[in-house]
Amino acid sequence: MAVDVRVLAGPAAVVAPASLSADAWQRFRRSRLAMIGLVVVALLVVAAAGAPWLAPADPAKQSLIEKRARPGGKFILGADEFGRDILSRLIFGSRVALLVGGLSVTIALAVALTLGCLAGFAGGVVDVVVMRIVEILLAFPYLLLAIAVVSALGPGVLNTTIAVGIWGAPTATRLVRSAVLTARESEYARAARALGASAARVLTRHVLRNVLPTVIVYSTLFMANAILVEAALSFLGLGAQPPTPSWGLMVSSGRDFLLVAPHIATVPGLAIMVAVLGFNLLGDGLRDALDPRLRGQL
Amino acid sequence: MTRARFALAALIALGVAGAACLVAPAPADAQKPGGTLTIVRPTDPVSLDPQLETTAPGAWVYFNMLEPLLTMDEKMQIRPALAASYEVMSPTKVRFKLRPGVKFHDGTPLNAAAVKFTFERALRGNPPARWASLAGPLAGAEVVDDLTVDVMTREPYGPILRTLAMYCTGIVSPTAVQKMGENFSRAPVGTGPFRFVEWKTNTHVILERNPDYWGDRAPLDRVIFKVVPEEGARMIALQTGDADMVLLPAPAQLPMLKRDPKYVVHEVVGGRVVFAGMNAAVPPLDDVRVRTALLYAVDRKAILENILEGSAVAARGVLAPSVFGFKDMQLDRLYPFDRAKAKALLAQAGYTPGPDGMLQKGGQKLSLSWLAARGRYPKDGEITEAIQAMFKDVGVEAKVQFLEWATVFTQFRSAAFKDHMFTLGWVTSNADADYSMYALFHSKQVPPTGWNTSRYANPKVDVLVEQARRNLNQTEREKQYGEAQDILAREMVWIPVYNTKEIVVTRAGVKGFTIHPVEYNLWLGKVWLDK
Amino acid sequence: MLTFVARRLLLAVPVLLGVVFVVMLTVELIPGDAVALMLGEHATPEAVARLRDYLGLDKPLMVRYAAYVGHLARGDLGRSIQQNRPVVDELADAWPATLELTVAALALAAAAGVAAGVVSAVWPNSLFDAFARVGSLFGLSMPVFWTGLVLIVIFALWLPWLPVGGTGSLGHLVLPAVTLALPSVAMVARMTRSSVLDVLREDYVRTARAKGVAERLVVSKHALRNAAIPILTLLGLQAGQLMGGAVLTETVFAWPGLGRLMVKAIFARDYVLLQGAVLLFALAFVLINLAVDVAYGALDPRIARQG
Repeated sequence: MAVDVRVLAGPAAVVAPASLSADAWQRFRRSRLAMIGLVVVALLVVAAAGAPWLAPADPAKQSLIEKRARPGGKFILGADEFGRDILSRLIFGSRVALLVGGLSVTIALAVALTLGCLAGFAGGVVDVVVMRIVEILLAFPYLLLAIAVVSALGPGVLNTTIAVGIWGAPTATRLVRSAVLTARESEYARAARALGASAARVLTRHVLRNVLPTVIVYSTLFMANAILVEAALSFLGLGAQPPTPSWGLMVSSGRDFLLVAPHIATVPGLAIMVAVLGFNLLGDGLRDALDPRLRGQL
Repeated sequence: MTRARFALAALIALGVAGAACLVAPAPADAQKPGGTLTIVRPTDPVSLDPQLETTAPGAWVYFNMLEPLLTMDEKMQIRPALAASYEVMSPTKVRFKLRPGVKFHDGTPLNAAAVKFTFERALRGNPPARWASLAGPLAGAEVVDDLTVDVMTREPYGPILRTLAMYCTGIVSPTAVQKMGENFSRAPVGTGPFRFVEWKTNTHVILERNPDYWGDRAPLDRVIFKVVPEEGARMIALQTGDADMVLLPAPAQLPMLKRDPKYVVHEVVGGRVVFAGMNAAVPPLDDVRVRTALLYAVDRKAILENILEGSAVAARGVLAPSVFGFKDMQLDRLYPFDRAKAKALLAQAGYTPGPDGMLQKGGQKLSLSWLAARGRYPKDGEITEAIQAMFKDVGVEAKVQFLEWATVFTQFRSAAFKDHMFTLGWVTSNADADYSMYALFHSKQVPPTGWNTSRYANPKVDVLVEQARRNLNQTEREKQYGEAQDILAREMVWIPVYNTKEIVVTRAGVKGFTIHPVEYNLWLGKVWLDK
Repeated sequence: MLTFVARRLLLAVPVLLGVVFVVMLTVELIPGDAVALMLGEHATPEAVARLRDYLGLDKPLMVRYAAYVGHLARGDLGRSIQQNRPVVDELADAWPATLELTVAALALAAAAGVAAGVVSAVWPNSLFDAFARVGSLFGLSMPVFWTGLVLIVIFALWLPWLPVGGTGSLGHLVLPAVTLALPSVAMVARMTRSSVLDVLREDYVRTARAKGVAERLVVSKHALRNAAIPILTLLGLQAGQLMGGAVLTETVFAWPGLGRLMVKAIFARDYVLLQGAVLLFALAFVLINLAVDVAYGALDPRIARQG
C-alpha cells in the first residue's frame, strides 16, 4: 500500500528557498520544449505589441470583390469573407487572444486559489459551504452567465473575458481544493508541523508547491478553452465587436464557409493551437523547473 | 389564293405546328405515386397548431395539413381553397360558400360551424391565437347555413381576403380540438392532403398521405421533416442521399449545385426585406440630407454579389414584389452608389473632414451608434459590418454593438430606443401592403404600439395609409399605396439591402415541386419521386 | 461512509434550490421578455400583455419562485413558456440522448486520455510524448464544429461508413462522441501525465524501485493509485462540462440533447424550461461530485478521515 512505502521516505525534501530560482532557470533552459514554448509566447507578445507595424494591411479594410481569396499573392494567408487580410487580422487578433487567455485564467485562478485553499485548508463547515457554492456555479449555464455579464457591463472582449473567467473558476477551485487536501495530509506537511512550523509556513511552503503543478497544467489548457468559449460568445454577438479581430470570432465566422473556403476558419484555428501549445510547453517547463524533486536530476 | 401562296401558307402552318409541338410542354412524365420525401431543415417547430405557432418551422409542416378558406398561388393571386366562392356583402362582411363533401382527417365533415369554431378559438380563446395579431380587425364568423359562412371585421378592412388566405388561418376540426385538448397542438387534424403520423421532438415530424383528400390525392406516401441545425451537415445530407430536399441551404454552395445535374435549385423572390434602419428622431439622422448621403454611401450591389451571392435579390423598395401594393422605388436611380455625392451632401449639411479624415461638425465627430443581432436574418451581421466599412469610407464612423436577439429585440420594442442605426428584417405576413405600411411608417405606430422603429412621421403618408386600410376597392388601394411609397422614397428612413429569395434545393429525382414566394407555403401536395 | 453520503444528499437540496433561484433572478434581471419574444415582431402589445397575464408571468419574482418550489415539491416542473408543454416531457425527450452522448464521450476521454497520459509519463519527452501532446492540443484548440464537420466529411461523405447526423444506432453515436471527447482527451492526458510524473518522482517510488519492485508494478500499484486523485477530479468535472458543453456537438450532429434545449431556452428567456434543465444538471453535478469525493476516500484514506 502506498502509505507504508511513504513512511520509509521521511522528511527528506523540505526545501531551502535560496537557490531555487537560479536552479530553476538552469533546468528550464535545458528543456528544449520549454524554450520553444517561451519563444512562441514571446512571439505572441511581440505580435500583440507591435501589431500596427507588423501587419501588412489594415485589418478592417474590406474589399468585397476579393472575398475568400485563397492564401498566396496579395493575401499571404488569404482573405476572409469581406476581403480582409487574414494575416493582418491574425496579428491584431493576438491582442484579443492574450487578453482572453491571460485575463480569464487570472480571474479563474484568483478565485480558485482563494476559495480552494480556504476550503481545503479550513475544512469543516467552510469547506461544505464553499463547495456547495461551487456546485451552484457549476450548474449555472455559462451562456446565461455571459449574457448577464454583458447586460450588466456591456458587450466587448473585456467583459466577455470576465464572464469566461468566472465560468472557469468553479472547476479550477475544485482542482485546487483536491490538491490542497492531498498535500495537507502528506508526510511532508505533517513532518513540518511536527517540527514546529506554523500553519502558514506549511501552507506556503508545501501546499502551494503541491498545488502549483496542477494549477499550471490546468491554466494552460483552460486558455484554449477560454479562447474557444469567447469565440462561441462572439459569434452570438457577445464578444469582440466589429471590426475588432478576434481569433475565436474569425474561426466562428469561417464556419459557414468551411466546405468552400476552409482557410478562413482553419488558419485562425491553427493560430489558437500554436498559442495554446506555446503556453502549454511554457507551463510544463515552468512546472518541471520549479519542482525541487528534480534538483540533482539534471 | 394562287397555288404557290397556298403551298407557302400550308408550309408555314406546318412549320408553326411543328415548332409548336417542339415548344409546347411534353406531356407530363407519368406521376409515380409512392415513396417517402425526406426534408431537412434547421429547427423543430414549437407547435403544429397556428394557435401557437406562426413561424416557418411549424408552418412548413401544418401548411400541408390545415387549409384556409382561400389560398394564394405562386403568382400571388387569390384562389379558392376550402371556400369554393365568396361574395363581399358589405365593407365589413364577406360571405363564403364552402366546398361540399370535404372531410377532416378524423372523418368529421367540414362545415360553417367548423369555420366559426376555428375563428372563435383564435380570436377569443384563452389565450388567443398567435395569428390573431396578424389578422387586423377580424371579428369572427357567423354560420348562415351548413356550407355558408360569413366572416366579419370590426371595421372596413381592405386586406381581408389576403388575410384569410394566410397560411395560418387553416380550418381545424372542432371535434378533434375538443377531444384532444392540449394534445391537438402536437397532432393537428385538418383537411389537407397529408395527415399527421408522429412527432419526435427535436428529431422529426412524419406525415402521411390523406387518402380522402377532396382534391387530387398526393402522390407521396409519406413526408419526413428532419431537424439538422448545422448548415454544412444539411448540405452533406443532400449529397449522401440522406435527404431529398433541403430548406435554408448554404448560399455559398448554390452556384456549384446549380451546375450539377444531380440537384435542382428552386428559387423565387420571397417576401422579406432586410434593411439597415435609420432612426429619424435622433440627430443627425433627422436631417434628410444626412440620410440621403448614407444611402449614396452604400454599394448595395457589392453586398448582394459578395455577401449574399445570389441567395437574395436587391430590395427594390420597402416592400417585396410579391406584396399587393408594391411599388418599385427605383432605388438604383434615386440613390446610386456614389461616394462623392455622399461626401458632398454631408458637406452641405455642415460636415467636414477632421484631422483623422473622419467627418465632424463643430468639433463633434460624426459618429453613429448601431444596434444589431447576428443570425436573426441571413447575413444580417455581415451586412452590418460591410455597411459599417462603407460608412467609414465616406468619413462616417459607425459604432456597431452586436448583442443577442432577445436583448436587441427588447431595445427595438422600447419607446426609449436611441440608437441611430439598426438592422432588421420585415416580412409582410399577409402579402398586403397595409400590413407593412401601417405598422412601419404610420406616425402613431412607434414602438411599443407598432413597428415604426425609424420614427418616420409624414401626415400625408398617414392619411394615405389610413384610407387604404379601410378601402375595399383594391384598385384604389393600390394607387394610394403607390403614392405613399413615392413620398417615402424621397425621404428614406431605411437603407433597404435585400429581398429574400425562397430557395429550396432538391435531388433531381424530386418532381412536381413548385416554390412559392411566401416562405411558409411549402406545398407538397403535387410532389412525386422519380427514382 | 453512509452518513457522509446521506449528508451530502441532504446538502444537495439547498444547492438545487439555490441554483433555481439564481437562474430565475438572472433571467429577471437581463433584458428580454419570453412572451414578447415568442410572439415576435408581429404581435400587438395587447396580445403580449394578455398572454403574460394568462401565463402568470406578471407576478413578482418571489411569488413565482415560491410557486415554483411548491410545484417542485410535488414533482411538477411547470410548463415551458415557448413550447407550451410540461417541462418534464421536454426533459424526458432530451436527457436520454444527452446521457448516452456524455457517457460515451466520458468513457472515450477517460480511456484514451489516461492511457496516453500514462505512456507519456513513463516515457517523458519521447516521440510519443511529443506527438501525443501536440495531437491532443490540436483536438483541444480546434472548435467543435471544425472537428465535427471534418469528421463528417471524411467518414460520412468520402468514406460512407457513418451517418451524417441524428440518432438511432451505435453508428450514429460514434462521430459525435469522438468529437465531443477530443478536448477532454487532451485535458485528461495532460493531467494524467503531470500527475503520474509527479508521483513517479516521489521518494517512495524511488524507494520501491530501489527495493527491486518491477517497474510495471511501480507504475500501476503505486503511481496510478496516488495520481488518481487529480485525474478523478478532472474526470468528474469533465463529465459536467461534457453534459453542458455539448451544445455545439449537438448542433453539428443534430443530436437532440439537453444542451441545445438549454440554449434555446436561454435565447427565448423561457426560464421555466431553463430551470428544469438546470435542475437536472445540478443534480447530476452533485451526484458526480459526491461520487468523486467518495472515490477520494477510497483512494486516499487520509482524506476519508476528514469526511
